[in-house]
Amino acid sequence: MSGLALFLVSILSLGAIYAVLCLALNLESGVGGLWDLGIVSFFGVGAYTYALLTAPPAADYQAYILGFDLPVWVGAIAAMLAGALCALLIGPPTLRLKREYFLITTLAFAEVIRQLLTNENWLSNGVGGIYGLRPPFRDVFDPATYGVVMLGMLLAGLAVVFLISRHLIAAPFGRALKAIRENEPLAITAGIAPKRQNLMVYVLAGSMSGLAGVFYIWFNTIVTPGQFTSDVTFFVWTALIIGGLGSLRGALVGGFVFVILHDMLRFIPVSGEAASTVSSLRTVLIGMVLIAILRWRPNGIFPERPVKFPPTAPPVPAGAKAMVSDNA
Amino acid sequence: MLDVRGCRLAFGGVKAVDDVSISVAEGSITGLIGTNGAGKTTLFNIVSGFLKPDAGTIRFRDADITADEPSSIAGRGILRTFQTPVGFPRMTVMENMLVFSSHDRARRRSLFAGTGVPRETLAAADVILADFGLQSRRDSWVQDLSAPDLKMLEFARAMMASPALLMLDEPAAGVNPALIESLAGRIEALRRQGVSFLLVDHNLRFVCSVCDTIYAMADGRIIAHGAPDQVIRDPRVLELYIGKGAQRRNEKPEEGDVKQ
Repeated sequence: MSGLALFLVSILSLGAIYAVLCLALNLESGVGGLWDLGIVSFFGVGAYTYALLTAPPAADYQAYILGFDLPVWVGAIAAMLAGALCALLIGPPTLRLKREYFLITTLAFAEVIRQLLTNENWLSNGVGGIYGLRPPFRDVFDPATYGVVMLGMLLAGLAVVFLISRHLIAAPFGRALKAIRENEPLAITAGIAPKRQNLMVYVLAGSMSGLAGVFYIWFNTIVTPGQFTSDVTFFVWTALIIGGLGSLRGALVGGFVFVILHDMLRFIPVSGEAASTVSSLRTVLIGMVLIAILRWRPNGIFPERPVKFPPTAPPVPAGAKAMVSDNA
Repeated sequence: MLDVRGCRLAFGGVKAVDDVSISVAEGSITGLIGTNGAGKTTLFNIVSGFLKPDAGTIRFRDADITADEPSSIAGRGILRTFQTPVGFPRMTVMENMLVFSSHDRARRRSLFAGTGVPRETLAAADVILADFGLQSRRDSWVQDLSAPDLKMLEFARAMMASPALLMLDEPAAGVNPALIESLAGRIEALRRQGVSFLLVDHNLRFVCSVCDTIYAMADGRIIAHGAPDQVIRDPRVLELYIGKGAQRRNEKPEEGDVKQ
């Protein structure tokens, strides 16, 4: 495959991973009203859980727990459960808080988790990270085309998360979340228990982000604490706002648009000395696009749209109205 | 069916609700009147569970609901409205109705419930919406509705929920005088279907025309209660609304109305 094709496959793979994170964030922050600034927590916990379970035992020069060399699917399920469990632990104290207080607390928890992974050498090999994690079916396919296989797997995973997400949003569960987002006191009078509903969506988003962590390791084959800084959280938020907060299509497209924007500057031919300057312009570019979106399309590329329900009575033709009401 | 006994709630030094006891009989329409700051809305918030009283008990159909979560109080069939009816702005009129439907109530905790809404539920909502003149707005966002339509939607939601006790906080506020009469008619019709009412309003003519029993509140206390014409002739109530010496100036309030 040509260099450009490889690059495209790699960009789309990363886009798919971001889209999974966007769908998770959209469920809790777009449909639900939880302003979560700690989405990276579950992403990191999922990635590390997967790595620790599927990696071979630690070598002499390494230090990490587990290392059971377990099959990929066991690792993936465990990562989702770990993401959910992590949300179940962080949720009860943080969900008592509203809006900006919730936001700052989730940001703090994410930082705590990253510091743990950085400093607890026995747990995760610290900043050294864990290397050489083999993605699924690596040996089955020709290394030259494996990138395409990987992209296929990631898109399939994205499709599953998308369908689950779409189902949850359209079900009474999602309607209750939107009701809490829109008017919590009124939602309560409808019999909705916000605490319970919010914890449920928080745990769901946690397990989806945990799965995104698995995908990220497949893509990267390494895991280090530096991959899970709050930058990821802000990137996912930016991607979701560009795509359209509260909109499924927006979340799906936002992840890809963001990654494409972010990596577009790689194409600019520059000298070695200028390279670092140009690469730092990436964040500037993203920021400018975000400002432009907020100025001209504040609800994103695909804004949230009213939900339509099928009519229950055939439309009454003009003129026949009086007759119908007579019969009724 | 609703029995409030000896309720007290103070905010700092202000006794917002001070030893209040009221009861709403099954199938009755009970009114609550009083000037601004009398504690009526605070009492509403206590009964619906949004505020917890410092002392006193609230019983609903022989169950003590004093310490219950507001959502579980709502689940028992007590539905309250708010003074400003904003609804769920970025949800459609139909979604606003569905959130209050028994269909959603039974399924919103489940992750596996289907996404389809049964035809009967949609049809029931459509009938109510047509009755309130909201059918053409069915699939629009509530944030795009006019103020009168928002008010109508509030009643439509209440009918969708079909509660046992409906607590209306200023239902006639901001309603066009011509519509107040039809509002009274709707309340009466719902009562015939078995709904009991507790309502707060400043429009005395409206309150007197619909209610069987009225409680008058001032400074957190109940100062009078009984049949409407009896309560509004009570000197303490008259003093509250039109000042001292009212009785002298207004010997025969025969129309059952007090000029404000």
